[in-house]
Amino acid sequence: MFEAFELMVFYENMIALNNVSITCDEGKIIGIFGSNSAGKSTLMYAVSGIILDIKRKEEMRGGERISVFGRVFFDGRDMTAVKPHNRAKAGIVLCPERRRIFPESSVLENLKIGSYLTSSREAKQNLEYVLDLFPRLKDHLKRQGGFLSGGEQQMLAIGRALMASPKVLLLDEPLLGLSPAYQEIVINGTKAIRDSKGISIIVTEQYARPVMPIIDYGYILENGSSVLMGTKEELLDNPDVKSAYFGV
Amino acid sequence: MELIVYGIINSITLSLVSLGFTLVYSISRVPNFAHGALYITSGYLTWTFLDKFAGFPYPLAILAGIGITSIVGAMIYQFILVRIRGMEISEIIATYAIGLAILEGLRWGGLRGMTFTLPAFFTGSVNILGASVDYQRLIIVGAGLLTFALLYLFTRYTKIGLAFRGIAQDERAAMMLGINSDMTAVVSLAIGSALAGFAAILLLPLGNIVVETGYNVLIFAIAVCVIGGLGSWGGVIVASFIIGFAQILTEAFISAHYQMVVALLAIIITLLVKPSGIFGKQKELEERV
Repeated sequence: MFEAFELMVFYENMIALNNVSITCDEGKIIGIFGSNSAGKSTLMYAVSGIILDIKRKEEMRGGERISVFGRVFFDGRDMTAVKPHNRAKAGIVLCPERRRIFPESSVLENLKIGSYLTSSREAKQNLEYVLDLFPRLKDHLKRQGGFLSGGEQQMLAIGRALMASPKVLLLDEPLLGLSPAYQEIVINGTKAIRDSKGISIIVTEQYARPVMPIIDYGYILENGSSVLMGTKEELLDNPDVKSAYFGV
Repeated sequence: MELIVYGIINSITLSLVSLGFTLVYSISRVPNFAHGALYITSGYLTWTFLDKFAGFPYPLAILAGIGITSIVGAMIYQFILVRIRGMEISEIIATYAIGLAILEGLRWGGLRGMTFTLPAFFTGSVNILGASVDYQRLIIVGAGLLTFALLYLFTRYTKIGLAFRGIAQDERAAMMLGINSDMTAVVSLAIGSALAGFAAILLLPLGNIVVETGYNVLIFAIAVCVIGGLGSWGGVIVASFIIGFAQILTEAFISAHYQMVVALLAIIITLLVKPSGIFGKQKELEERV
């Protein structure tokens, strides 16, 4: 249902993403693992279309030359040239790295901004769902987003993405800098989103261990190339993966 | 007592003048240096409708003037700014050039002398706390407060207003949620220009429509925004009151000629003491997180 085909991204002459193809079937959770600078965020930007905006801004400034190749398909539609806000409209919603919540808006307002694309009735349902999923947000509805803790911000960022009623939810390093307790909340939440709403989820992470239990299929990126892919069991059995990503 | 009444009126006048500039900057990060030109355009258009077509009703002329100004603002973005978006210096140069072109074009087209005036909405005056205030100024105060209230409600409770707030804080994060940043920028320029036009319609009946006013308006708007913190709504109100009262006080105790000096001096002091302005709030938050 969702397919990125032979994606290649260059920053100037540096290759950030080399011939990466990923597929995500409906209702599946896909994991993408790799160290820093392996191309995880670039992949997320390419898939969500943000790369097109970065590219356009750089071109106007006369800055870095960014080249993007490959195609992105979603529900049988070719999304390769579709702008990011229209991809969000089609159902591809990115919850970005480092969360990027709106710091001056209250928690409630962050969520309301997230519901830009949905009808008011749908927004109400989504809000209820998000607050059920992350009850902790209920206690802080009036607080400014910038003053939340990292874990709370992450819950808010995921909640805000859910307010847009995504069909494919892209989570870029959702566990970055979180305590183990919050990591567990976020991981359980991610699984709950898939189980209850059937939303497909693509999640990137540096450390595979906390995410591994919930994924159906995984890819491992190294220096921009996808070096290994397989189901959860296949990845867990691979000795290279074990040593590199689990520290065994 | 008189000073306080006049100070409040002057402050609200200033905030009305700077609202459009702040709105555009806070949403699309475009420093709209054509602000003063749009202000005069709206006044001139309204005058044209009244003068050239006899019997044209005043309210309709006002609506047409503001409407066309807002379309001009939107077109400035759609055709020019969209190509240089994100490069502040180019944006300043482009908008300033457009502003110059409009203002000097109007001057060249015959906007000279003292013959261009808009009628006051109501004539007459009333005595408030020992100060004589004419009705036009009362309307300005009322309209200023109403505009603030409406803008507050608009940005908090409407979908497009919330999208504005999202875009203003993090453009790309808002984009990921399906908000079209070009669309919000066009709308913000349209609304900002309409606000400039609205201020012009309210304020111009107090004087003549002259090209110089366009430049002065721009300088006042920039002064208010720099002192209050660029893109901050609370800052606009506070800074308007600081400059507004400072101007009235210098006028009363020194000389009316120093009004502009006060505004410029305030800019310099702010830049020396606290460059981000009184409410440079965004940066403060970023540092904390």
